Amino acid sequence: MSHVEVMNGNRAAGIAACLARPDVIAAYPITPQSSVVEFISRMIAEGKLDAKICEVESEHSAMSVLEGASLAGARTFSATSSQGLALMYEPYFRASTLRLPIVMAIANREMISPQTLWASAQDSLSVRDAGWMQFYAEDNQEILDTLLQAFRIAEDSRVLLPINVCYDGFYLSHMSERVVVPDAEEVDAFLPDGYDPEHIVLDPDRPMAVDPLTNGDLLTEYRAKHLAAQQAALQVIEEVDAAFSNAFGRSWDGAVEPYRIDEGCQAIVVTLGSMTGAGREAVDRLRDDGEAVGLLKIRAVRPFPAREVREQLAGVPAVGVVDRNVSFGWNTGIIYQEVSSALYGVQGTARIPIISGLGGEDITVEMFEDALRKILVAGRLSSERRDETPETIWLRQEKEGGAA
Amino acid sequence: MNILEKLSAPDMISPGISACVGCNVELTLRTVMRIVGENSVLAIPPGCMGGVGVVGWDKLSGARVPVFFPLLTNTASMLSGLRLAYDRQGKTDTHVVAFAGDGASVDAGFQALSGAAERNDRILYVCYDNEGYMNTGYQRSAATPKGAWTSTTPHGKLQVKKDTPRIMADHRIPYVATCSPAYIADLVAKVEKAKANRDGFSYLHVLTPCVSGWGFPPEQSIEICRASVQTRYFPLYEVDHGQYRITVDVPKPRPLKEYVGRLKKFRQTTDSDLAEMQTLVERQWHELIALERATQDPEMARAG
Repeated sequence: MSHVEVMNGNRAAGIAACLARPDVIAAYPITPQSSVVEFISRMIAEGKLDAKICEVESEHSAMSVLEGASLAGARTFSATSSQGLALMYEPYFRASTLRLPIVMAIANREMISPQTLWASAQDSLSVRDAGWMQFYAEDNQEILDTLLQAFRIAEDSRVLLPINVCYDGFYLSHMSERVVVPDAEEVDAFLPDGYDPEHIVLDPDRPMAVDPLTNGDLLTEYRAKHLAAQQAALQVIEEVDAAFSNAFGRSWDGAVEPYRIDEGCQAIVVTLGSMTGAGREAVDRLRDDGEAVGLLKIRAVRPFPAREVREQLAGVPAVGVVDRNVSFGWNTGIIYQEVSSALYGVQGTARIPIISGLGGEDITVEMFEDALRKILVAGRLSSERRDETPETIWLRQEKEGGAA
Repeated sequence: MNILEKLSAPDMISPGISACVGCNVELTLRTVMRIVGENSVLAIPPGCMGGVGVVGWDKLSGARVPVFFPLLTNTASMLSGLRLAYDRQGKTDTHVVAFAGDGASVDAGFQALSGAAERNDRILYVCYDNEGYMNTGYQRSAATPKGAWTSTTPHGKLQVKKDTPRIMADHRIPYVATCSPAYIADLVAKVEKAKANRDGFSYLHVLTPCVSGWGFPPEQSIEICRASVQTRYFPLYEVDHGQYRITVDVPKPRPLKEYVGRLKKFRQTTDSDLAEMQTLVERQWHELIALERATQDPEMARAG
């Protein structure tokens, strides 16, 4: 039987990791992720988790240790944030190009400078093209559930790619809420076997040379297969979510989750991560005022669910994307660019870039209401005007006695 | 078993790797892997041995044991992960072996190396030290000695060589040794000790003079190795569970000039430079003697 606990997001991530019965864990402490590695260390020390943990001297080594372990056939887990992720970029990229199904939680934190500790997906979104899959969770239950799904998606023979489950630092990592914790037996049934690689392994009983110097035509073939595996993952994500729903009675709608989107929708706001809760509340309030608005939550950024996003958004008069991150050189956020690419060629749908909540600033329900009203206004323009490139909206909280 | 019988163990490296003529790194690698044997996994980071094809294709070329390219920066960490996974799988007899150049060990890879040593992970780490980035055109590393020409120190390096074996010994790991391809019996004995070490990290540091990068005739490769030892430039010693022991005594050292003078990379060296180098070499030897005496007491060694 499952049970209910009140816990923060880091504990939810730690519990999920333990339930997945990893063989080898390596992680280096960094705010706001630290309590994940502390929790797992304690579980091992108390004999509640049978696994090897490596007390590494850096995130670079954390990912490197997991690559070695994964090459030996171990199921592996790590967690990091921000500068730690940046430090591990070299082995991070390689984990995906070696096709190692490593699972890593990321408690999202801004990249410095200026010096900062607080939430933004700038860290993980900046490495979205390093070949990993990336999921973004809205609440602590979703962290736990998505991590359990992540092992199964990553190890699927059609995929064999590493995966991040990302969640906003402090907003989720340190915020406590109700979480249903499944029993170990239930998880064992959902996620049965340990990882047993056939495609790449270091084992004297099955000798092979791993990753010799490779020329361009073969490298191109590897890349084509890697890209195909990302696309295949979209189907696997749906299947795993269905299996999860069967096993635990909770579905997360796969790669995107629509909220109150219907035929007559005049404006949709696109969200990522913990901001989604405030977005839902704002949608409810505007619906109460008679406005036909909805919300689309992006769960998977890699693979990007372009078809689903297009199906949900094409034909709606106006769409706004709220980004808690920036895309340098584009004057927008990163998810805006992703959504715009998915909507390429669609006419008559205004696309409004909105940047908000950087450095962990709150994005309130009122700010989402404001955003939705601005999106509605854009949707009332003529069809031609809607296709023009709009100005980016910097949505900031009114602060007493200070700059907006 | 005598040394020749030991060396008749199967060669774990296929014939025809493309090392330079007279390369003593290839000799060292073949010797090390004959002793380590087939129940092993070999990490070859970017460097000379990576460049010459030791990470081969399906045992038809390169190594005959499972072999891979770590990054330049993470050889020891990747081996830590393999070790943990093998221990968990009960494959405790499988050796995880690094064969890494000085760049991948004492420079870019040093953090991972030091971390794995501090954790005392059971890894057999061999550093082949050719005193620079010889594979990519002879650039300077922290292992390049003062005064030596490299392509990035055209007027000679200004700083002294980092003493990595001593730094590794100060991690207080169970086994550290220096080795030379000119002293194969000594090398084999040290590889055997490292292989038998079940207590944690083993670190072997092999000085491998480079025909191409240092400038000497290929047929003198082993002579140069021997001269590095006989001038006390590169003393052969081990630190076994804290106990220092000079394994090849050099009671009557040859003048340092007999080593330095044969290498083109020291062509710019003046008499006063040479005198300074000679002083450093003597100090290093006397430090080793002092360390040997200080750690002779087995009680002290255990505590160390």
